[in-house]
Amino acid sequence: MKVDLYKRLIAAQMSRRSMLKGAASVGALAASGTTFPGMARADAHANLRAQILAIPGVGMGSPTDADWQAVGELCLGTTRERFAQGEFEGVELTFMGLNNQNLHNFLFRGFLRPWEEYTGATINWIDLAQADYNARLQQSIATGTVDFDIIEMGAPFEGDTAGRGLLDPMPDWVKEDIDMDDYVGYLKEPVGTWEGETYRVSVDGDCHNFNYRTDYFDNEGFAAAWAAEGHEGAWEVPTTWQKVQEVSMFLAGKEDPFTGLPAHGYLDPLKGWGGFGFYFLASRATAYAKHPDDPAWLFDPEDMSPRVNNAAWVRAIQDVLDIMDTQPADQINADPGTTGFQQFLAGTGSMLSWWGDIGSSARTSDSSVVGDVTGFSILPGSDDVWNHANQTWDVLDSGPNFAPNMAYIGWGIYVMARAASDDRKRTAAWSAAAHLGGRDLSLWCSAYPSGFQPYRNSHFNIDEWEAAGYDRAFIEDYLGSEADSYNHPNAAIEPRIPGIFQYYSVAEDELAKIYAGEYASAQEGADAIAAAWDAITDQIGRDSQVALYRASLGLA
Amino acid sequence: MSQDRLYVVTNDQITPGRARAGQVMVWGSFAILVLVAAWQVLGGYEVVTDFANWRPTLYAYLFFVTCYCISLVVRYGEQGKRRLFVVPATIFVLSMVFFPLIFGLTIAFSDWNLSAVNGQQFNGFDNIRQMWHDDFYWNALTNMVWYTLAILVEYAIALGLALLLNSQIRARKFFRVAFLLPLMLSPVAVSWMVGKSMLEARFGPVARLARSLGIDNPSFFGDAETARAMIMIMDAWTFIPFMMIMLLAGLQAIPKDIQEAARVDGANPWQNFWEVTFPLMLPVSITAIMIRIIFKLKLADIIINVTSGGPGGATDSVTSFIFREYRDRSNVGYGTMLAMVYLVFIIIGFTLFMKLAARWMRPKY
Repeated sequence: MKVDLYKRLIAAQMSRRSMLKGAASVGALAASGTTFPGMARADAHANLRAQILAIPGVGMGSPTDADWQAVGELCLGTTRERFAQGEFEGVELTFMGLNNQNLHNFLFRGFLRPWEEYTGATINWIDLAQADYNARLQQSIATGTVDFDIIEMGAPFEGDTAGRGLLDPMPDWVKEDIDMDDYVGYLKEPVGTWEGETYRVSVDGDCHNFNYRTDYFDNEGFAAAWAAEGHEGAWEVPTTWQKVQEVSMFLAGKEDPFTGLPAHGYLDPLKGWGGFGFYFLASRATAYAKHPDDPAWLFDPEDMSPRVNNAAWVRAIQDVLDIMDTQPADQINADPGTTGFQQFLAGTGSMLSWWGDIGSSARTSDSSVVGDVTGFSILPGSDDVWNHANQTWDVLDSGPNFAPNMAYIGWGIYVMARAASDDRKRTAAWSAAAHLGGRDLSLWCSAYPSGFQPYRNSHFNIDEWEAAGYDRAFIEDYLGSEADSYNHPNAAIEPRIPGIFQYYSVAEDELAKIYAGEYASAQEGADAIAAAWDAITDQIGRDSQVALYRASLGLA
Repeated sequence: MSQDRLYVVTNDQITPGRARAGQVMVWGSFAILVLVAAWQVLGGYEVVTDFANWRPTLYAYLFFVTCYCISLVVRYGEQGKRRLFVVPATIFVLSMVFFPLIFGLTIAFSDWNLSAVNGQQFNGFDNIRQMWHDDFYWNALTNMVWYTLAILVEYAIALGLALLLNSQIRARKFFRVAFLLPLMLSPVAVSWMVGKSMLEARFGPVARLARSLGIDNPSFFGDAETARAMIMIMDAWTFIPFMMIMLLAGLQAIPKDIQEAARVDGANPWQNFWEVTFPLMLPVSITAIMIRIIFKLKLADIIINVTSGGPGGATDSVTSFIFREYRDRSNVGYGTMLAMVYLVFIIIGFTLFMKLAARWMRPKY
């Protein structure tokens, strides 16, 4: 679970009832002797999941290293069953990961401490800030100085690593231990796999969902005005981008029912965000560009020709341009952080695409003024979808085309080929990875501050969350939009090819020019992006990119 | 030795054998260096067994340098010992400048994207050609001209403040410290506190003030000219104190009797400033402006934090553009070439500036 989400949930939901529940859980836990590391014996407890969710307990403050170790100890059952005590004595592993907000590696250290004590292996840690991560990884690869055995890595980097043979294929016993069938739909193959081999132990899931202001769409004044202006259909939450556009234009010049400030519709981040800003245009484009019959939507799998300048993407860019006048002042300088945290949460704008954590923060953040008036759904669809093969707009018999954007795909744990030089080292590395990606441990990560979102079907058992002390209605709404996105059959999954963020970064530069009016049309700007993408593909190596892209799509 | 004006302690008798030994020492160690380096290069192309790293060549280089230094004494005796006072330092400086420059140029003339399958590939002048057609780079260079010209305004303000703080005003010491405070702030902090908070269009205090003054939708980074001006102002606010403190030191170094003599001769305050103080301040002024230009040419942090170069590249600096090209896009070869060309522009610009400055500073009378 993301930190903000946890803190705000806790801040908002702390009540006598939840306090008593949390205290009772902790009391029970203490009585069973599992509060302290080393004392817990995972296989001695029948209701493991309830036990770990009680550490430290909802409303009992942020978890500490002792809690992480306690959870790690309780979840050590699989390791105990598979390996004898001290089996990896003398094995030394190096783990490279993030230290964002004192999470990620900090948790992994605690989770793996009991594993180290039991197996006898030791782990050296390389902690990286998020901003340094890409550069450090790329430099290690380019200079042939991979100095780590295990890496915490996002799926978009699989092209850079698996595509170059730097990763070790996952042994079958790991697949069994981590219960990969429990993964949500989009995290299953081909994500985490290359040319039939599986490499990734997922520890996170990511997607963009649609956040909206319920007070706007319950507002009778808006409903009357909507009807009076002769708009088609009822005044309701838009489910297609066509309606999003119509609603955004309708709201221009009206007054926000909650804050009394000018009303705004959909919020577009018009400023780059180190490559991550491109995800937000992609969220607009997927419903137009991701045809249910075609796994590709960003590049052509035959020759890596960019599709970013096809009719679907140009329409998405044009949509942004069409409602720029309806956006708040200075929107040209708003990056996704601004649209999410300084605008939507602060009461500006009524519709927003973002990762899952901001939607829930809206309800619980101290700085949020829209806590009780925020709803969630999957990203809007489109009445028609671009058929790239036929070069036509198709209207589907099933209705609007939906294609949730699985932006970034989430973090995973990977073992480097370097560790495979020694059998014991390799087994130890995979054992550590399996421990971190275990089914039960991941539930704890979803429920407490960890930097990770839910990513298993078993994470969506609302009863478990409620029993842990969370508010049922809120969790249902929040998790529902995530689950529907994850499991959508037409989910748009980004290419896992080398240098994918280079493409995004250069696209942001060109988009900034398009939004500033420096191109005559959206098409001209999109063509400039396509040209820049072609140049990157040529520079990296077109043949290899085609091969890797096809492999990432699971195509032969 | 007749031309040697230094006192020579011993009169060395260098035998031909000793001289030869010295030469063998130099050329032998050099041959080892060449062999190891050649092996290293060939190993890179998998012609021979590759070294694990560049240490063998480094050690061979250090061995050669050591042998060279020893050979100076062997071949030239006392004269060689004298050279040893300078040679190690010279070699160190050359090593720290020459080799990185060679490596830098090697990278600059190559197609090297860190994600590329083929790694670093020599590509001649392709990067120059790409740069020639790169609108983003030329746009950033044009912006740099504007940013640099803004230094003239900064200088005028800094000189005004320095004159003020040099005069007999109340609480002078307090103002000297207070005016210096912005310089103590990190530009990153300035960009967040001022650019992202105070100037935030919706709830920033400056925006609120603007609204109360009747401006409906104040936007400080919304259009190209305003955004560029705001970047200039934030950067100026940070660095004007630096120029001010240098100019203040210069003002305090001017002998009072010259100004008093001018006053006795009937010069009014303006004449006193323009004909006496300002010319005397020119050397300090030129130095302050030059150092300020050096700072300005590196301008990136505020831009990266506040506008990311936008809107539409209006505030992009060369450094912020290279940062994106190099860091976000791992385009090492092209990014290095852009930096090299920028360096050449700077060297040419500075040479011209110093020539002109030397001309300006020539006494008028």
